[in-house]
Amino acid sequence: MAELTYRDAVARGIAQEMERDERVVFLGEDIGKAGGVFKTTVGLYEKFGPRRVRDTPISEQAILGAAMGAAMTGLRPIAEIMFADFLAVCFDYVANEMSKLRYMSNGQLACPLVIRTGNGGGVRFGAQHSQAVENWTMMIPGVKVVAPSSPMDVIGLMAAAVRDPDPVIFHEHKALYAIKGEVPDGEIVDRLGTAKILRPGRDCTIVALALMVPRALAAAETLQREHGVDAEVIDVRSLVPLDTQTILGSVAKTGRLFTVEENPRLCGWGAEIASIVADEAFWDLDGPIVRITTPHIPLPAADHLEDLALPSASRIVDKVRRVLNG
Amino acid sequence: MTSTIIMPQLGETVAEGKVLAWFKSIGDEIREGDNLFEVETDKVTIEVQAVVAGRLSEIRVGPGATAKVGEVVAVVDGNMTAKAPVLTAAPAAKTSQWRSPFEEVSTPIGRFGPAKGPNGIHLTPLARRLIAQGGLDLAGLATEAQRRGERRIDGAAVRAAISARPATPTAPLPAPPSPLPVPEGNVISLNAVRLRTGERLTENWRTIPHVFQAIEVDFTAVNRVRRSRKADFQATHGFSLTFLPFIARATCLAISAYPQINARFDGKVLTLSRDVNLGIAVDLDHNGLVVPVVRGAGELTAIGLAKAIRRQTEKAKAGKLSADDLAEGTYSISNNGAFGTTFTAPIINAPQVGILSTDAIRLKPAVVSTPEGDFLAPRMIGIVAQSFDHRAFDGAYSAAFLSRIKLILETRNWDEEFPSDL
Amino acid sequence: MASVKDATAPNDRLRNDDIGLDRRLELFRLQVEIRDCEKRAFDLFLQNLIKGTSHLSIGQEAVAAGFGVAMQKGDKSFCTYRGHAHTLARGASMEGMLGELMLRDIGLMRGKGGSMHLTSVKHDVLGSYAIIGAHLPIACGSAWRAQYLGEKDVSVCFFGDGTTNIGAFHEALNFAAVWKLPVVFVCENNLYMEYTPISEVTAVKHPAADRAAAYGLERIVVDGNDADVVYRTALAALEMARDGGGPSLIECLTYRHSGHSRADPAKYRPPGELEEWLKRDPVVIYRERLRDFGVKQETIDAVEAASKRKVEAATEACKASPQAPLELLTADVYADGGWAWRN
Repeated sequence: MAELTYRDAVARGIAQEMERDERVVFLGEDIGKAGGVFKTTVGLYEKFGPRRVRDTPISEQAILGAAMGAAMTGLRPIAEIMFADFLAVCFDYVANEMSKLRYMSNGQLACPLVIRTGNGGGVRFGAQHSQAVENWTMMIPGVKVVAPSSPMDVIGLMAAAVRDPDPVIFHEHKALYAIKGEVPDGEIVDRLGTAKILRPGRDCTIVALALMVPRALAAAETLQREHGVDAEVIDVRSLVPLDTQTILGSVAKTGRLFTVEENPRLCGWGAEIASIVADEAFWDLDGPIVRITTPHIPLPAADHLEDLALPSASRIVDKVRRVLNG
Repeated sequence: MTSTIIMPQLGETVAEGKVLAWFKSIGDEIREGDNLFEVETDKVTIEVQAVVAGRLSEIRVGPGATAKVGEVVAVVDGNMTAKAPVLTAAPAAKTSQWRSPFEEVSTPIGRFGPAKGPNGIHLTPLARRLIAQGGLDLAGLATEAQRRGERRIDGAAVRAAISARPATPTAPLPAPPSPLPVPEGNVISLNAVRLRTGERLTENWRTIPHVFQAIEVDFTAVNRVRRSRKADFQATHGFSLTFLPFIARATCLAISAYPQINARFDGKVLTLSRDVNLGIAVDLDHNGLVVPVVRGAGELTAIGLAKAIRRQTEKAKAGKLSADDLAEGTYSISNNGAFGTTFTAPIINAPQVGILSTDAIRLKPAVVSTPEGDFLAPRMIGIVAQSFDHRAFDGAYSAAFLSRIKLILETRNWDEEFPSDL
Repeated sequence: MASVKDATAPNDRLRNDDIGLDRRLELFRLQVEIRDCEKRAFDLFLQNLIKGTSHLSIGQEAVAAGFGVAMQKGDKSFCTYRGHAHTLARGASMEGMLGELMLRDIGLMRGKGGSMHLTSVKHDVLGSYAIIGAHLPIACGSAWRAQYLGEKDVSVCFFGDGTTNIGAFHEALNFAAVWKLPVVFVCENNLYMEYTPISEVTAVKHPAADRAAAYGLERIVVDGNDADVVYRTALAALEMARDGGGPSLIECLTYRHSGHSRADPAKYRPPGELEEWLKRDPVVIYRERLRDFGVKQETIDAVEAASKRKVEAATEACKASPQAPLELLTADVYADGGWAWRN
């Protein structure tokens, strides 16, 4: 066991896969010699060399297009899109190309690649560099989407993503890069499509993702200690495929559902989960489903305003308590 | 031989065109490539050429008239027939997928009472379900809640009411249903679900000429395998391995030899089904009978059937069956072993044409024939029976089907259904 | 090794037959078959047997044939929605192509992709792409893979003049040049972007060739209607890429006889322009070329007759083919063959 930061876990996860399989290659802007603008890929260039770790020009479309062409013809590329907001610049490849290739070609062509990207806010980068956009990628049929919340999950889900034969979009969270977590030694391989119950409970189910997970856990502690509410906290981890069974099972037990989403209100990932639960688990619900989200606004740069916008542990406590008592 | 000239497809979203002018008249000879008419759409004006040769014999859409894309605008007599495109109907969609694309989310069916009590008080969905499943008195609960000044009835309130009741013993599955509590006056009213089920049963009993046949089956070999695999199965899958998966498997295998058993009958026509969608009758304590379906049962092994049956049964008992779960059954099994009965004559689920019933399997003295002679031995014996629709086939066919099930149960190598390294 | 520029010197054509009779007949056969098959597609569209949209290559056969013969097995093609010719030129069957346009089960993708997405991996046709410019970076990726694994195949990317103004074009050219990738970019300049003359929307006269210098590449413009010229140019570019010499950008001047898509009667063309270009019809040019090289009329006739028979047979096979079974609706979204986004 060792204690590792989330950002070091990224490098370790990529290295684990590159060591295992010669076909795994890595491209992106400033990822090689510079070790990544967030220092997430330090050491990879030195270890694997310029042939396997390639710095590119500022050409997001070329980065994703080249990753796709390489994946189609035999390699297992990992492509970095530096800030998740930039997915908008090369969204054609996500929305129209890699997601539809297998279907349109009737199974002749495949696209086993991973796009890893720095997602989310809380780091004062302003409106164009702080968005949580995992919901943009969730709504395109044909891709898989994960967003780990801990260093161990980073490594395990990165391994699962690289080994997966479909295109996977791996949303790292910029505000989590510095957090630390326990990581066992040796190879770590997780499974896509699995959520984790991080804190079992009886009174309500709180479903969260990425940065919202530690906040939901903190809120659950406060809810227990100060209000006698025993909340079950689930880390969704994987938006596509979605582990609906774990969530439905939890709601069957508690009868109450809350989602904590960093996406701005409309069409956040929790809206889909709320809809599924309201449908399949209707007869288990003992009260309305409540989504706790960032308001539907661009994000400000000012720290006090940004902190107000993103759901905080205290906002979660407040909302859950009020709704359960009401 | 005549060919038709149709209004051509002129654009991606164009649905019709207006003929502006004809360049040929009736009686004219037409060669391939000749300009025939000019057509205007909301996007473009274009000349349409002939793709056939012959004599223009009829103009059906003249200048100034509009026709939809694909509509016949003229007829040509000639030696080239424009063959109609052969669009054969696609074979019926296989239901071997886990979910239907139009049922990505399985809406549970079943209504569990109104959303408001008689005094207007709201109930949560969970409360409504618990009240219906527990057979509680909604009016009483509503009055109680109002008296206590509560704004709504939730699950906690209903659970409290349930535990305040004198407990009815709930035996572990499978168990005979606990007797209904008999209130004063010996009057037992049936709830809505029970009444609906009753109506359906009556209709089926009334319209289908039921004939009942039974056959005695020696389950000793099955039981040997079941006992030896039981512990591992329980450890791996978390529930008990009963006789039912074996019986279901034998039924599916027998159906492939006797396909008329797996059919739908509408009174006149017997339609054989390619897939076996096996309904398993589940008794919901005090709440009637449901028959959730295991789709594609013909493709499953005994283990697969055990898991699928378990899944559907659990869903049924939790009130989580969707319309998808109850639809398109092709044959059913009524499993009464737990009740200890010798044989049961079940009622057929229209439009199916048969229903299997199995009852208690127990040690009985039986004659076993060996080359050394005939001996009495204790064997596990049970009756497997079928109620069938005599309009669909006759006794000989049904008897042969039952004999095949008996043969499979008694002689199949059941060990092969289980992985060698569980 | 002759440079690409030498290959296009106009008066070399008759003096040395570096191409050889077999390849000449192959070039002719491909152009004739593409022409006949595309014309049949035209008719089938009018009869409403081909639905949706269709972008025909009538008049542009020489580019597809020239590259088709020059490319080796294993070289990868990437083309646009105007990709019928390129798909046939790599050896895909007529019934596979027409069947796909007719959305039948016999189609290359059983009707799942349609006219704009023709794909046949076994013929190294790695997709036809409908979003302008998208496949240029993809071709770069395929070339990167060859470079990385030390494989000797070249990736060839076909696109139109309109593509040269979109962002992905510029990203891909720069990327390929900087990484010195074994990729050949082929611009079929047919003078029209969709309904607009390319000259009205481009800052330079030759939309591809005049941009080459921006990426450190040679300026190459060739007569795209002369299959021999295309063939020689293609060979030189492929050889250079295979030898590690990096990418090429080739502008082929050509013309399309019909509109942008079947719905377009192309009335925006100035009068006389079509007639001028019809005089330089690549099939007509090549028929003459064969006669110049002493090929007998019966041989030429036999090729053309065989092509017509092939088209008829393919048409009948397609008309007789049913559409795909309904369960194909949800097949092959993911690698497991299914479409499940949840458990």
